[in-house]
This record gives sequence, structure tokens and C-alpha cells, in this order.
Amino acid sequence: MRKTIRMSGELNENNRGLVQSIERWASSSPDSVALQFEGEPITYGELNLRANRVANGLQGVGVAKGDRVAIMLPNIPEFVYTLVGTLKLGAVAVPFNTLYKGGEILHILKDSGAKVLVALTNFAPMINEVRPELPDLEQVILTGERNLVFGHPQSTAFIQLILPGDLVDDIDGAYNKIGHVLLEIVRDLGVKEAWYKHRGSIRVRGDKIATFVISEVEGIALVNALTFLAPLDTRDFLRIVWVPPEVRDKVVEPLTSVEQETGKRPPWDQVKETAIGAFEKAFEVELKESPMVRDELFGYEKLRSLAYKTR
Amino acid sequence: MKWKIFSRKKRKEQWRLIFKPQADIADVMALPGAVVEGQIAGRYLLSSMASGGTLVIQGLSKKGILAGADVAVDFQAASEHDVDVAFQPRSGRASLRPAETINFEEMMLQEDDAFVSVATEPEDLACILYTSGTTGRPKGVQLTHKNFVSEGKSTEHVLDCTPKDKVIGVLPFFHVFGLSNVLHLGLIHGGTVILVPQYSPANLLKTIMDHHPTLMVAIPTMYVHLLTLLERKKVQLPRSIRICVSGAAPLPKEMIQTFEDCSGAQLLEGYGLTETVAACCANPPDGICKAGSIGLPLPGFEMDILDPDGKGLPSGKQGEIAVRGDGVTPGYFRLPEDTKEAFREGWFLTGDIGYRDDDGYFYVTDRKKEIIIKGGFNISPREVEEVLSSHPAIKEAAVIGRKKGEREEIVAFVTAKGELTAKEVMDHCKEALSSFKVPDEICFRKVLPMSVTGKVLKKELAEDYQDERRIERK
Repeated sequence: MRKTIRMSGELNENNRGLVQSIERWASSSPDSVALQFEGEPITYGELNLRANRVANGLQGVGVAKGDRVAIMLPNIPEFVYTLVGTLKLGAVAVPFNTLYKGGEILHILKDSGAKVLVALTNFAPMINEVRPELPDLEQVILTGERNLVFGHPQSTAFIQLILPGDLVDDIDGAYNKIGHVLLEIVRDLGVKEAWYKHRGSIRVRGDKIATFVISEVEGIALVNALTFLAPLDTRDFLRIVWVPPEVRDKVVEPLTSVEQETGKRPPWDQVKETAIGAFEKAFEVELKESPMVRDELFGYEKLRSLAYKTR
Repeated sequence: MKWKIFSRKKRKEQWRLIFKPQADIADVMALPGAVVEGQIAGRYLLSSMASGGTLVIQGLSKKGILAGADVAVDFQAASEHDVDVAFQPRSGRASLRPAETINFEEMMLQEDDAFVSVATEPEDLACILYTSGTTGRPKGVQLTHKNFVSEGKSTEHVLDCTPKDKVIGVLPFFHVFGLSNVLHLGLIHGGTVILVPQYSPANLLKTIMDHHPTLMVAIPTMYVHLLTLLERKKVQLPRSIRICVSGAAPLPKEMIQTFEDCSGAQLLEGYGLTETVAACCANPPDGICKAGSIGLPLPGFEMDILDPDGKGLPSGKQGEIAVRGDGVTPGYFRLPEDTKEAFREGWFLTGDIGYRDDDGYFYVTDRKKEIIIKGGFNISPREVEEVLSSHPAIKEAAVIGRKKGEREEIVAFVTAKGELTAKEVMDHCKEALSSFKVPDEICFRKVLPMSVTGKVLKKELAEDYQDERRIERK
């Protein structure tokens, strides 16, 4: 005889799901604390209201019952607002691992047919790169301030371009143009097998050698590009921003560099000349070295002091 | 692509270059930031700088991290490793944002506070969760509203959460364990969920010390890290925690006792899957806890041990663990074949091999797909892993099968605590295992690839593993 022993206790008749429960607590005890985040309590009343705003926002961009909303967020209040807001709409939440990279993100977004993705701002370059292959993905909503850039004297070159808005008509075109300028720079530095498909990364095989993102503020476009000249040893950085050892290699995407591909790290003069040449040719302009003006220097000092302000 | 400049001007326009090969990490943000600010101001001041583009090329004179305002940085470690740390200013409304995206905070400011929730049926989908896939490609597990409601009721008997409870939210909510047994659990019962956005042992300890939680749901590595840290810092845990739950992987018996002694809490081990909305089986809080057992099925779930033909097996006999109940997924998203394969007469086949004892307690012995077949014998990787782990110089071990022609070989991956040779490991195995179970090869690794819940990702140890993080050209 086979015995089936079960844990004692009967199921009660509470048939409430997450949305109904939160709405009930928000109405019966709105001041009770639902979430505690970095010293700040968020009450059931506030949680319900913010989830309502997300539901309205999602509805506003066309999300309806049954649509998938992908969520790539860590345990921050925005995760909870988005999850509850999505469920309030009758839509389907697709939360996924924030450690996932290019190919994995592409698989999940494609397979689920997500219409909207809510993610951290720092994932923008990665999402950008796979976005053209995701016809179902209509909107990307970004939150949080978790950008992380590692810079190393031997390994990294930062190339940035500030363009007044009247010079840029469409972002797709801008991504295409800047991507090809960076591709030319990398190839001119000797990496002949480098390729660029769309949006964001110059690659050699599947590995990243340069990456960029275009941002906008009040009509001005800012291109932030990072090129790897020599292998980037990320170990020191990952001791500072704590990551469990077993997932360390997942935090950083597979990278390569000019030195790894050609056997030689290009000197700064060569990087400078190559970059100037590529930008002058692509934009049919002449680049002339000149320092910042007085107003800019004032802003520069202000931003530096903010950046180094101890917290 | 329309760059208006082409049609507007014939003569070559002059753009500015700023070249700074010896910059520091703050310059990476401050220099272009100042130029952007200058251009915005220039519009109002009609300054000449507002016209052309500016190209900035920068290199660094020392190592640096440029971090967003929400990144937690260990400043002591930064100074020890000579890394400069700069923060990006917190962006406000109308601040810099990646092109063609919506800013969450702006959306929240614009939207209305009121919303009437759309009615749903119990069978409607609430979530699709992708299995972490320790083998194969992630599959979308469909979970309905009914699944979540049922799981909520099932776990009440173990955790008995009330509005007075404070639950530690350290497990990631994108994973079923954190989503269901932490976030849902806390909010459904009107409790408080304490969010830990970035796990580190120090963060977890600080959160416990600051907030005095009453419930903690975590994975074995977190308990182990926490114990090590308590020992090192010579601090005591507050006696606020009533119950701790550990899942996803087994926790050594001594560890359970040590943790219970130092926290005063009861630590229960349980078992669950994404397909069962997390926990479906646990050691009872008010009954006998059996070490090494995953416990008894939770109310609302039925479990059985099936033979390859789908027939129930008597206690003590090993077979595949099967589950059924309202908490079980209706199947995989857009994968009818996989769904069909995973169910047999209403039972969900977990893919875990195990048995049940005479008291009805369940035990997991292996993953079905990981069983190695060598020379006609079935070899349990877990058995070999346990022998390896018992060696004092071995920290972690993972055993996989590797095809060699028609045969399958046993390959062991180990991380060592100190000096250790492959021969010593082999000799240790030969003492404890039959000769056909002794690994054919020992591979030393610095770390083993793990999922967020601390499971070794065996697919990444296989020779033909394709790194899915890469984006390929075709």
C-alpha cells in the first residue's frame, strides 16, 4: 500500500490575487507600509496609486489585456509598480534576469512577443542593439540610475560627440551613421574583421570591441562611445561594486580589444588621428582643436564637483 | 538618413575637437555634459558655440568607475584598489535620456491616480517566467492568476504571514522564488517587504540589523555568506526573525543547526519549481523536520513518484517526482510539444529523480537529464558530487557526462580551497566509489558558473556550450 500523507491544514477561501489584495489593503489600511526601500517606507495607499499610474501609462502606449510587458529590473519599487500596473490592465508580466545579455534578452523578448519592456537605463545600449529584430516591441520604458562605466588607462578610449538638434533628423539614421564611423575607426586601427549591424555595438565575431549610445536632451544629441584598445581587466572594478564571484563573468559582456585582435595597442596619437579622419570624412567637416569657453568651464567645474561629492 | 548639413552648406563647416588623453573618470561625464549645457544656454544667449558639433576624445590617467546615482559602491575597496569613483548626477525631468525611449519617472508624473482594474478570469495568464535553464534554452512557463492564488493559499500553512510581518526581499523578484514566496506572500497578507536591490552579504546583514525582519526566504549561499560574515564581524543577529526558508539547493544539516542557534529562528527547507509557482513541498514548521528531505507536499498540491510508464511507485523506490494541483502551470508558452511531454495524466513531471519515505517525506536525488549512462550503468552525478565535496580541500563540485564516441565519460569540475592535485581527488573518489563511478577527468576551476539561485549551470560546463550572451552577425 502506498501512503499519501499531507501537511495538516485546510485551504481557506481567500481567493484574492495580488491586485485585489493590494487594492483591499490600500482601502482598509492605506498608511500601512507595503515596501521599505533604502530607508523610505512606501505605504499600500502609495503603492496602489503608483501602480494605477503605471497602468494608465501602459494603457496610453497601447497595452491591452493579454499583451506581454517585459520587466528587466532588480528589486526596486519600480519593479513592483510595473508588475501590479501590468496585472491591473489584465496584461501578462514577463519578468526576467537582469544579468541577461544580448542573445538571451533577444530570445526572451522575441519568444514572449513583449510589446513593452521596462528596464534600467543602463541596459539601453544592449536593448538598442537587439531592438530592430523585435517587431513586436513597441516601447522601451527606462528607469533608475544604475549606469556603470569602467575606465582604464590602457584599455578604454572615450569618444563623444555633441550635436545640436538641427543636425540630426532621425535617430535610426544617426545610429547607422555613427556606427559606421566607429566601425571605420576600429578597422583603421587594424581590426579588419570588425562588423556593425545596427544600433550600439561594433563587434568582432560575437564579442564587443566598441559600444555607443545616443541620448537626447532638449533637442541636443549626445553620442557616448567607448572603444576597447587593450584587454579590460574587470576584477578590480567588481571588487568595488560587489558581485557574487560565480556570476561575475555574466555582469560584463564578452569583450575583445584592438590589442587582442592585432597584437598591438595603438598609441594615443594614432587613435586621435584615426578618429578625426573618420569623423571629418563622414560629416564633411573640418575638426579644429580648441578649448572650452568660459561658460562651459563653469558648467564643467560644477559637474565635476557633483561627480566627486562624497555620499 | 538625412543630415541637414549636407544640403545646407557647401563650404566645409568647422567643428570643434577637445582632446584629453590624460583625463580622469569624472571628465568622461563632466566634459561633454558642460558642452551640452553650454549649447542649451547658448540658445538663449545666442552664443556662437550653439552651431556646430563638438567631438571629445578622452583617455584616462588612472582606473575609474563612473556610476549612476543608485549604484552601491564600496569606497574602502575602491581606495585599496586605487580606483577613482565618480557619480553621474541624478537626472531630473527633461534630463538626458536614451533616444526613442520613455522615461519612467516622467510617465509617472503625467499619469492619473485613478484606474479601474480590468477584470480577469482565473485561467488568464498573469506571468510568463523563463526558466533559468540549467540545461537547454530558456522556456516560457505560463502562470495563471489561479496558479498564484493557489500558491498563496498553500504557503500560508508554512509561513503564516500577517500584516505585522516584515519580509526580507533579497531574492530577485524576476525569479519565481522571490516573486512568489517573497513579494506575493508579503503583499497579499498586508505585510511589509524590505527591498534589497543589490545582494551582497554586507547589504543583507545591514538590512537585517536596520529593519529587524520577521521572515526570511533565501538560498543556501546567502545563509552561508551571512554566517561567515557574522563570525568575522563578531555580531549577533537580532531575535526578530521567526521563520527562515531555504530552497533551490540543499543546505548542509550542520549549517541549519548553526543558523538556527545564532538567529533563534526556525529554518525550513523546501522544494519548488517555476512550473509550480515556487514552493510545492516543505518541511512542516509544527512537525518533524527531516534533514536532507524536501518535506511534505503543501496543502493544494499532490506529489507522487512515478516509474517510466507513469505508474505510482511504493515508498523507498526511486522514480520521477510528479506534482499536480491548482498551483501547477498549464504549460509552456507557444511550445505545445514540450508541454505535452511534461505532463502525464494530469501530473506534471518535474524532471527530478527521488523517492518518498514511509512517513510520506520526499527526497530528491538527481536531475533526470543529468543522469550519466556509462557502460550500461546509470550514474548519479549527485552521488559523485557528494563524495567530491566531502574532501576537505574541495569547495564546490559539479559532475557532468561527456559523450566520447559512443561512450559517455564522467567529468568532474571542482574548485579547491588550497593546494590539490587531480591524483589526490581521484584517490579520494576511488576510496569511496565503485570503480565505474570514479570520474574520468578532473577539471579545476576558480569558480563554477551559477544561476541567481545558486544552482550550478551545468550546460555552461559542457564542451559544446555556446555563450548565449553574444550577439552573432547572422
